[in-house]
Amino acid sequence: MPLPSGLVTICIAVAVIVALPVAVTVVQALQGGVSAAKTAITASATPTLFLHTIELAAVVTPACGALGLATAWVVERTRVPGRRLWALLLVAPIAVPLFVTSYAWATLSSSLTGFWGAAGIVTFSYYPIVFLLLAASLRVMDPALEETARSLGLGAWRTFLRVVLPQLRAALLGGMLLVVLDTLVEFDAFVALKFQTLSVSVYAQYQLGFSAAGAAALSLFSTLLCVVVLLGESRLRGGANYTRISHGARRGVARYRLGRATAPVLGGLALLVALSFGIPLGLLAHWFAQGGRTAGAPAGIGALWPATVTTVLLGVASALVAVLLALPVAILAVRRSGGLVTAIERSTYLSFALPDLVAAIAIAYGASHVAHLVYGTVVLLVLAEAMLFVPFAVVALRGTIGLIEPSLEDSSRALGLGPLRTLWRVTVPLARPGLAAAGVLVFAFVLGDLSTAQVLLPAGLTTLGTQFWADTGTVAFAAAAPYAAVLIVLGLIATYVLMSRFGRVRGLGEG
Amino acid sequence: MAELRCQQIWASYGERDVLSGVGLVVQDGTLTAILGRSGSGKTTLLRVIMGFIAQRRGTVTVGERLVAQAGGVHLPPEKRSVGYVAQEGALYSHLSVGENVSFGLPRRERKASQRALEVLELVGLSRRYAGRRPHELSGGEQRRVALARALAPRPPLVLLDEPFSGLDAALRAETRAAVLSALASQGTTAVLVTHDQAEALSMGREVGVLISGRLIQTAAPAELYRNPATLDVARFVGEAVVLPGRAGEGIVACPLGDLPLLDRDVVGPVETMIRPEQIEIRRARTGALGSGGGATGVIAAVTARTFYGPDSVVHLQLDGVPAPISARILGHDVPEPGERVELAVVGEVVAYPGAPPVPVDNPSPEHAALYSGSAPR
Repeated sequence: MPLPSGLVTICIAVAVIVALPVAVTVVQALQGGVSAAKTAITASATPTLFLHTIELAAVVTPACGALGLATAWVVERTRVPGRRLWALLLVAPIAVPLFVTSYAWATLSSSLTGFWGAAGIVTFSYYPIVFLLLAASLRVMDPALEETARSLGLGAWRTFLRVVLPQLRAALLGGMLLVVLDTLVEFDAFVALKFQTLSVSVYAQYQLGFSAAGAAALSLFSTLLCVVVLLGESRLRGGANYTRISHGARRGVARYRLGRATAPVLGGLALLVALSFGIPLGLLAHWFAQGGRTAGAPAGIGALWPATVTTVLLGVASALVAVLLALPVAILAVRRSGGLVTAIERSTYLSFALPDLVAAIAIAYGASHVAHLVYGTVVLLVLAEAMLFVPFAVVALRGTIGLIEPSLEDSSRALGLGPLRTLWRVTVPLARPGLAAAGVLVFAFVLGDLSTAQVLLPAGLTTLGTQFWADTGTVAFAAAAPYAAVLIVLGLIATYVLMSRFGRVRGLGEG
Repeated sequence: MAELRCQQIWASYGERDVLSGVGLVVQDGTLTAILGRSGSGKTTLLRVIMGFIAQRRGTVTVGERLVAQAGGVHLPPEKRSVGYVAQEGALYSHLSVGENVSFGLPRRERKASQRALEVLELVGLSRRYAGRRPHELSGGEQRRVALARALAPRPPLVLLDEPFSGLDAALRAETRAAVLSALASQGTTAVLVTHDQAEALSMGREVGVLISGRLIQTAAPAELYRNPATLDVARFVGEAVVLPGRAGEGIVACPLGDLPLLDRDVVGPVETMIRPEQIEIRRARTGALGSGGGATGVIAAVTARTFYGPDSVVHLQLDGVPAPISARILGHDVPEPGERVELAVVGEVVAYPGAPPVPVDNPSPEHAALYSGSAPR
């Protein structure tokens, strides 16, 4: 069947939009001339930064993969006590903005500010992405696959290695891809640490007033890394996009009894939750306690309500736009295959090609030249946030849409509805849980975003994040605490919605 | 290679009993089909034998080995050496056909792949299939590969869960034959669960009927069809014409005349069960339509007919009996709706004691149902 040209055109447009900041950055780098670029790149630290960034990604990515895989399997395949609660707690770190975690770790111990601190923060903040994807895949996997393996004499461990893991390969690689790309351009996590990566150094270039061209040239290294990773992943994945051969049985799997392993497993989960979620919560409690002692702390609290409103509205608007951008791409990726489709889908990952800050500046720069109307308005910020998190929305939507029988859409077409009306009356209603999950995921990330808001937020507005940043900048930790607390509460609400929706379709309940 | 023995199996999901005292013995090297509607508990029974569900009461023995005893022994599925063919096959999409088949073999044998090719041929697939991917196979081929995978480690017992569902009629017959011959050549004991009467009757050495978690009757197919233990079983294993009657001295008097009883000991008011193909039709005046059988002098009007190819079902209205009945007749000479015909019953019929008194004037809906009583095909 030929690809539907309308859908492909829309998807290419989305890909182009997402790639625009990269194009602008290239232009910026060229404008600065060769000398500025050379100065920035040949700065003595550059090779070290490059190495730091790669080392970090090399440690964080497998760690997230392993943690996500282990936790998803325990929650979805064993009778571990309290698995619904664990599922929620395991995703909860998504609700904590990285710059808050960063402060928490730096406060905890100065020994945590180096490489291992950075690796720890990023690992414990990103593994929930892998967990979410794998838990959703495990839920929809045909239980008969594992049952057959056991009937053939394989125990839990060998069934995992020979059936579950290969079947999860595509989801695992997809999750790790998100982690590695996000790590390469991560900046927020390192604000309070003295750990230097490419992104941190780009940030310094701007802060210290060096030429924007130099920073642009430097950040193109990130683009290079991003492209290399994307190409590498597509080779690794090969044909691993396993389609279900049959619908299989719609019933729960026979879960493993943990028996004597119950205590160690519970201990491991508790330790993980304590490290990933407990530490930032502990820091907040500490700051609140401090505020209680010094009194006068609630000075800055007046800005809390307007900042909350701004943050929520920004989050909701960005989520809507991101879902709108992601939907056509997800549909194309699920319903069709081939080189062009994969290329289009993967090109949305170019939103990870630049550090957030650089992308934001590129967007501002581009808008100031060609789109004066939106320059300096919230519209631009919403668009920028949406572009930044489109890949997450695509991933969340793809899982759900993949569960919708194509025949449902076919029969709608046969009943005389065009593609758009079919989308609106069949696909969208069925995919509603996935749409919600995608939106909420983006919402949670927008809550935790700092760099983009700092560059593009119109004068006079503050978000919870920027206010937190301003207060911690002036060491007013007690004043910063309420902002972080509201952020985390909002994030937890989002997490709850996310957990009940991710990778599900209406009417199919728990597979 | 081993006898399967299930004794007094009780299993429940939460408060609800799904299996209530199921007892099943499958003789060494034979296939028993378990026939039940969806929700009757047949998949649960398989899962108890497999070990995916722990029964509340009862024991499961495979050969000499006690594999499950409520409150005591519960061997995990991987220790039971019980092969399993899931609905739709459940082939591993990440492996080739050959790798699927050798999946359960020890590493050395997997490498050698000799056994995989051997079992593939056993289920009627050539060696060429070994290199293919599961999604390249037709539905019937997928089921065969699933069976080959289950048979490869030479399990003494194989369980088949609706193994032919979703296959079209021709493929179904062909795949059934392949499965039977593969099982027979290995001497494997097998349990097949299905909701398809024809499948159960044609494949099982014995057929067990599971209704609402109770195994009502287990018998050879012909016995089950001709002499079902209850009216429920009768309706479930085939179509049934049910008429009120009065039994005595080996004869039942019913609206179709005085008919000989299979069980001559039944007396009193009964419900008479007659298979539609036992009813023969003669044109009232112009002579025989069917062959043989003595006319009873019972006259009926043809209300409708359904043509199936080799045979047809004729829907009839008996004079003085409110509910319609049906007859299944072979051949091409089928009476038209509106024609009046004479009926004859061939062979013995079955009677179930305890028929309600028959109010002829004002039949209630339940009463009407009692008359027609055809099982869904």
